[in-house]
Amino acid sequence: MDVKIRNIRKEFKGLAALYDVSLDIRSGELIALLGPSGSGKTTLLRLIAGLEFPNRGTIHFGDRDASFQSVQERHVGFVFQQYALFKHMTVFDNIAFGLTVRPRAERPAKAVIREKVMELLDLVQLSGLDRRYPAQLSGGQRQRVALARALAIDPTVLLLDEPFGALDARVRKDLRRWLRELHDAIHHTTVFVTHDQEEALELADRVVVMSNGKIEQVGTPLEVYDQPATPFVYGFLGSTNVLPVTVQQGQVFLEGFEIPLATTKDSISGPADIYIRAHDLEVTDNRQHAIPGVIRMIRRFSGQTRLEVRVPSSTHFISAEVPDDRYAGRDLEEGHKVFLRPRHFGLFPRESVFEIEAASADTAARLSVVS
Amino acid sequence: MTDIAYRGHVARRPPEATMERSSVQRLVIAAGLLFLGIVLFLPLASVFFEAFRQGIDHYVASISEPDALAAIRLTLMVAVVAVPLNMAFGVVASWAIAKFEFRGKSFLITLIDLPFSVSPVIAGLIYVLLFGAQGFLGPWLSAHNIEIIFALPGIVLATMFVTFPFVARELIPLMQEQGTDEEEAAISLGASGWQTFRRITLPNIRWGLLYGVLLCNARAMGEFGAVAVVSGKIRGITNTMPLQVEILYNEYNFAAAFAVASLLALLALLTLVLKSFLEWRYGDHIAAAARH
Repeated sequence: MDVKIRNIRKEFKGLAALYDVSLDIRSGELIALLGPSGSGKTTLLRLIAGLEFPNRGTIHFGDRDASFQSVQERHVGFVFQQYALFKHMTVFDNIAFGLTVRPRAERPAKAVIREKVMELLDLVQLSGLDRRYPAQLSGGQRQRVALARALAIDPTVLLLDEPFGALDARVRKDLRRWLRELHDAIHHTTVFVTHDQEEALELADRVVVMSNGKIEQVGTPLEVYDQPATPFVYGFLGSTNVLPVTVQQGQVFLEGFEIPLATTKDSISGPADIYIRAHDLEVTDNRQHAIPGVIRMIRRFSGQTRLEVRVPSSTHFISAEVPDDRYAGRDLEEGHKVFLRPRHFGLFPRESVFEIEAASADTAARLSVVS
Repeated sequence: MTDIAYRGHVARRPPEATMERSSVQRLVIAAGLLFLGIVLFLPLASVFFEAFRQGIDHYVASISEPDALAAIRLTLMVAVVAVPLNMAFGVVASWAIAKFEFRGKSFLITLIDLPFSVSPVIAGLIYVLLFGAQGFLGPWLSAHNIEIIFALPGIVLATMFVTFPFVARELIPLMQEQGTDEEEAAISLGASGWQTFRRITLPNIRWGLLYGVLLCNARAMGEFGAVAVVSGKIRGITNTMPLQVEILYNEYNFAAAFAVASLLALLALLTLVLKSFLEWRYGDHIAAAARH
């Protein structure tokens, strides 16, 4: 089912956790709410679930206005960060819970419930563990029980709060792949919250990047990664260099010295910040559209060469990541003078950083590179 | 080297520290045991000794005498009314305090603790001042033929006041520690408030609740001060067991006094055994055990 969120504002004790958030979740998609802690992503998830209610704005499930429906009426499947399995019940009873609490008239027969639970156990690959108690399961197994329990009620939307947060790295990777396959098989509309960019970019159809109670950008993983709309998204995704510069008549100055980058717009003037991803930098001999620098440190690992380059006549360092093979023959050494040419960069007026409220995709001028 | 040094938790320490500590340890333990023996064990043993001093027949006669039986009946009756009421109140109050945010929450917590800080005699006096013949509501009550002071309702009220905090104090930390995740999960799966309470909350707190009720019951049956003020000590009518013990003692009827006292002591021992069992078996589910 599609979910339409319109102009939601949520306050806790007078402090806003979400400002004017709008989002369309399409039926059947797997969407990630990505942001640092305190960005409001979990609050948004709980609002969709009906575990919290908005101070302003509306939430529609399909054509139904669910803004003030109780969590029971919304019929969502919610998987909690710590799973919140019922400790005193077996795996079977946990999964069956949503069916056994239904009013007598709507409650399926015992045999039907049994069949459904067994089917779900099969789906989450836990067949044979139905008599276990949560304490007798591993973290990954508990997570899958929580998922099966949420799926048992045929939820309108499946909501997952940091689904992999409590698992160790290996299990996390396996479960991530498994969840994607599961989603492709059953196509429940799914929203999950994460602070892990890799998780969001790898798993989701679309990613909602949030910060400070606002949505910074919504897009496919490729879009948000390759075309960050705001300084925040630039800084949050990937490892990013930020250089404080001054722009005058389209020319960029770092601490008084010009760095010859090509800008396409004249709309920015005055203090600004340049955002460049470490892996978007090419090492070149050609000074055109490139930042000059001196290599201060070289580290090679996992097929990558990481350079720390000092920009001359300034106190700033730039990190660059280049593939090993391409530069292997060129003898990059500490102390060498090089030019770093960014394939992409973002240039944002400085005040947008301080006036977070004003920064949005529309107002921040984004410049793409000419190279 | 003493045998203490060979026990696991001591043996892990360096030997010289163990040697030095073991003599100090033994001294401290001996002092502790001596103190406990004089202050606790001897009096307890003497209760039973005195109770049976004049033979078992006299003992049976003492506790089956009509006034003694009436006192036992009254004590049980008070417990039967006061404990369930306090249990219900305790569960509701701790549910509200642990799972919800509301104005006046810290005030409520303070109120729950009040009986612990107020002398039981004062508690009794409050009810006399409120419901007694010369009290605030006295004239109205006597006009409507309602007896509270010097009658069962007063005794129950005084007992409830004194035993108010036991269940709530036990459950609040337990419920706070358990958080609201499981309840939220239950309602997200469509369970109603009552279903959530009965199927999720209650099973999670059952051992803590039992523990709290046990302590509450022990105190309810043993309460003296508050009950003494409101009961009027009418023999065979408003005397609870502790009051009966005192009256018999004041009449130099030591054997009978100790016989009734031995029943209270027995109750205390039983409570202690059950309490230890609960702590041993369900320690994780009991907040008080985790605190100790």
